[in-house]
Amino acid sequence: MKGHMGTILRLDLTNREISTIDTSEYEEWVGGHGMGSAIFFDLVDDKSVGAFSEENVITMMSTPLAGTLAPAASSRTEVQGISPQPYPTEWFTRSNFGGRFSAMMKYAGYDGVVIEGKAEEPVWVNVVDDEVSFEDASNLWGLGTWETQEEIWSQIGTSGWMATESPRDTGETTQKPAIATIGPAGEAEIRFGSIQHDAGNSAGNAGFGSVLGFKNLKAISFLGTGSIEMANPSDTIEARLWAEENYAYGEDEDIPLGGFWGFGSTPGSGDLDGFPTGKARAQGCVGCHKNCRKRYADSVGNESQCVEAVFYNSFDQAAHGGITKESAKAADITNQMGINAYSLSNGIPYLETLHERGILGPDGEIEADLPWNMLGESEFVEALVEKIINRDGIGEDLAEGFPRAAEKWGRFEEDIADGTLGFQYWGYPHHYDARTEVEWGYGSILGARDINEHDFNWPMYWQPTLMYLGGADPLIDAETLAEYTMEATPPHNVKPDYSDENIYSEDMAELVSWHRSYTRFWKQSVQYCDWAYTDFVNPNTEDMSGLTPEGEPRIFNAVTGADFSFEDGIELGNRIWNLDRAIWTLQGRHRDQEEFAEYTYGVTSKSGIPSSGVVGPHYMPVRKDGEWTYEDVSDRTIDKEKFNEWKTIYYELENWDPETGWPTRDALEAHDLGYVADELEAHGKLPQEA
Amino acid sequence: MGKNNTRDEAEPSVPDDGTSRRNFLKGAAVGAGVVGTGATAGVLALNNEDTGESAKAIPASEGYLLVDPAKCTGCTSCMIACSTAHEGKASHSLARIQITQNPFEGFPNDINQEQCRQCTYAACVEACPTGALEADPENGNVRMVDEDKCVGCQRCLEACPYTPHRNTWNHEREYAMKCDLCADTPHWDQEGGPDGSQACVEVCPVGAIQFTDEIPTQYDDEGYKVNLRDEQWEQLGLYAGDI
Ligand code: SF4
Ligand code: SF4
Ligand code: SF4
Ligand code: SF4
Repeated sequence: MKGHMGTILRLDLTNREISTIDTSEYEEWVGGHGMGSAIFFDLVDDKSVGAFSEENVITMMSTPLAGTLAPAASSRTEVQGISPQPYPTEWFTRSNFGGRFSAMMKYAGYDGVVIEGKAEEPVWVNVVDDEVSFEDASNLWGLGTWETQEEIWSQIGTSGWMATESPRDTGETTQKPAIATIGPAGEAEIRFGSIQHDAGNSAGNAGFGSVLGFKNLKAISFLGTGSIEMANPSDTIEARLWAEENYAYGEDEDIPLGGFWGFGSTPGSGDLDGFPTGKARAQGCVGCHKNCRKRYADSVGNESQCVEAVFYNSFDQAAHGGITKESAKAADITNQMGINAYSLSNGIPYLETLHERGILGPDGEIEADLPWNMLGESEFVEALVEKIINRDGIGEDLAEGFPRAAEKWGRFEEDIADGTLGFQYWGYPHHYDARTEVEWGYGSILGARDINEHDFNWPMYWQPTLMYLGGADPLIDAETLAEYTMEATPPHNVKPDYSDENIYSEDMAELVSWHRSYTRFWKQSVQYCDWAYTDFVNPNTEDMSGLTPEGEPRIFNAVTGADFSFEDGIELGNRIWNLDRAIWTLQGRHRDQEEFAEYTYGVTSKSGIPSSGVVGPHYMPVRKDGEWTYEDVSDRTIDKEKFNEWKTIYYELENWDPETGWPTRDALEAHDLGYVADELEAHGKLPQEA
Repeated sequence: MGKNNTRDEAEPSVPDDGTSRRNFLKGAAVGAGVVGTGATAGVLALNNEDTGESAKAIPASEGYLLVDPAKCTGCTSCMIACSTAHEGKASHSLARIQITQNPFEGFPNDINQEQCRQCTYAACVEACPTGALEADPENGNVRMVDEDKCVGCQRCLEACPYTPHRNTWNHEREYAMKCDLCADTPHWDQEGGPDGSQACVEVCPVGAIQFTDEIPTQYDDEGYKVNLRDEQWEQLGLYAGDI
């Protein structure tokens, strides 16, 4: 397949061995998540090992589109392995980051990197084109993520364009090496340590930074001077221009109304107004048309977007009457220490609630010495993070993550029941809500983490909700939205009906199945960025229809020369979803575990639990008496019994065993995964035929 | 950085005895292929009125790229577009425009755009010993490299007075490349050159590169680095004022 470099780098840290895998061996999976899961399946004999185990394998995979002009798909990296973050089970899962890493890895000649074993002493890995070496990381251990990268640049950044005079054979580059590194949080093996790259790109949720810390791998650096062959270069440029001209924000056009997600939003909008404005530019990942991030005059908050840009806002605002630099400084702390901002975003409100109730503090039942008088200042975040990293006092408990800390304190049952502990899926921080945006919740609980896929969330929830809250009409009416969504989601043609009745229906099972398949392939394997895709609704077109499903295969085929239809991608996505399901089954998954945090069944979104995420109205499309309309659905809970019936509907749709939730041999063989069925069978995990 | 522009006296020539560029390069690498610059046909020596220096006057290019380093997002789409259109491959190292950046720096010092200036007194043209790098009359006098004539001596790279040099060594095909305003883009089915489109200008998502047919001031950066940010840019919370 064009777009591939042909080689995957394989690093055995235990024996300090460097070898390669031919990409062609895994070509059928295309890239990213598909390849990562397939490689993990092949290399890890015992899938039930823990996250902090030498046998855990971490893959960091690119895509055929990385390094090309594919808009918002040219430099994301999919990270997989067994994660220490989920509660109570350490599931095999995924994370992803943007920036320059994936593109540079390919220019160096690799489609991905597989990390095995555990080094005896801290190492970093230096890749300059086909030269790969293990380096001593003792001088980097303890450094923040920014310092680490600068230190490595000072060692290998000098062979670039500006210095070399003999680039004849290997070429030259003006670019800095692209480095993925861990910070002190990863070194300390806390359960939510991130992998960081450049200033603000993080694979946060999943805690893979701490797995690298356990493996004694501080950083991996790529510098490449090569090039990527495309099947049809001219078509690639034309596909890019088509997408840009028709669907992207054009600088001469009016600023589009209505938000920050989707293909067509404006440059620099990714900080979600979480930072005060000043002198700033927009900044983006390699090849991105959207460029969602910013860099600032004092460099504070550089490249931070989404959760790390806003996680401290409300405290900052409460302390200062408005958003100040403290929010940006807090973001920098998470980026530099290499700690997942999402865990803090729900964790700090949890601690605050316990503190306010007198439960947590110097005199409370949970002893904690935190500078509450500094809440709202970045110093509070700094003090908290330091305690966690040093496992100092309450930090010892928190290093295990907030749900495990609550369990240790004997508070888990009580706090999860009323939502004080807002960690809704597998111990991941409540993000979007299973009670309202059910596809988010269902996808998360059927998987292994908070999905963090905004495909339906943006058009179905934010689009009408933001517009109504702003006193305006939604960008498009509910009927048109439903029509566009049905057209854009072949072959399932899903009906986005979020009414109380429909959320337990076969329609919703179809929608969730489509979503699992779309994201596993088009997003996590081809790696179209979640911040730009899907594009069901686009404010830049006359009729507000988006580029999904035409755009994804058009760009992909131009680069790869494959003759892939959108539906082929959904099919392959479903195959990957089945493979993941088999891995979870081998890890011990059973349908009975697929239950939301208790508050999901007992408390409505509307009641405004402080640490359980977005509160307020949730206007979403519903179909009532055959008519589509938007309705506030925040005043509901998930009905446990109906949800369990729905699970059966879903398993049957996927041809999984309704008793256990395990994939059947039929389901696996239909996806050409007979070898996977054999392994399930060998472990007594293959459902008996009825 | 050895910007040694000392000229050698030997008359250069394209090897006409079937010597391939690769062989030439091998020779050069062991010091056997001493080459230098000489007068290229049709070019007169003139005094530069601005600097008083003697330099080659060649017909002015009919097009130039202007950039706004305070608007650029560092996405490097322009670089990939350039290499794709010309080489049919996606690469940073094969691009004829270079974006350099440091993610930890403060705006605006975090990014620079380094484009070829199509200099009126083009040191690269002057340095080329074989006439491979010339103002091409068929393409609006854009300073262009004729790949077939390039012997790979890299004198043009050394001669370009800017850092990083604005011409590019193609290590895969072993010849020097420079911005031709997309006059010769075998891998892009669009008319390029000063009268057509330029891939980087078309692809840049924020309009941080502009084509002009007016000669920018040659003295320093000001003619080439311009403010392309408008009020709308400011409304997006981005900086539109002077830097
Ligand atoms: S939308 Fe933002 S995060 Fe996504 S690829 Fe573009 S710049 Fe990167
Ligand atoms: S390569 Fe350098 S010397 Fe030649 S025209 Fe461009 S900027 Fe001028
Ligand atoms: S005008 Fe064409 S040749 Fe020049 S830098 Fe832009 S894309 Fe490259
Ligand atoms: S395409 Fe435009 S915004 Fe992106 S790096 Fe090039 S000049 Fe800057």
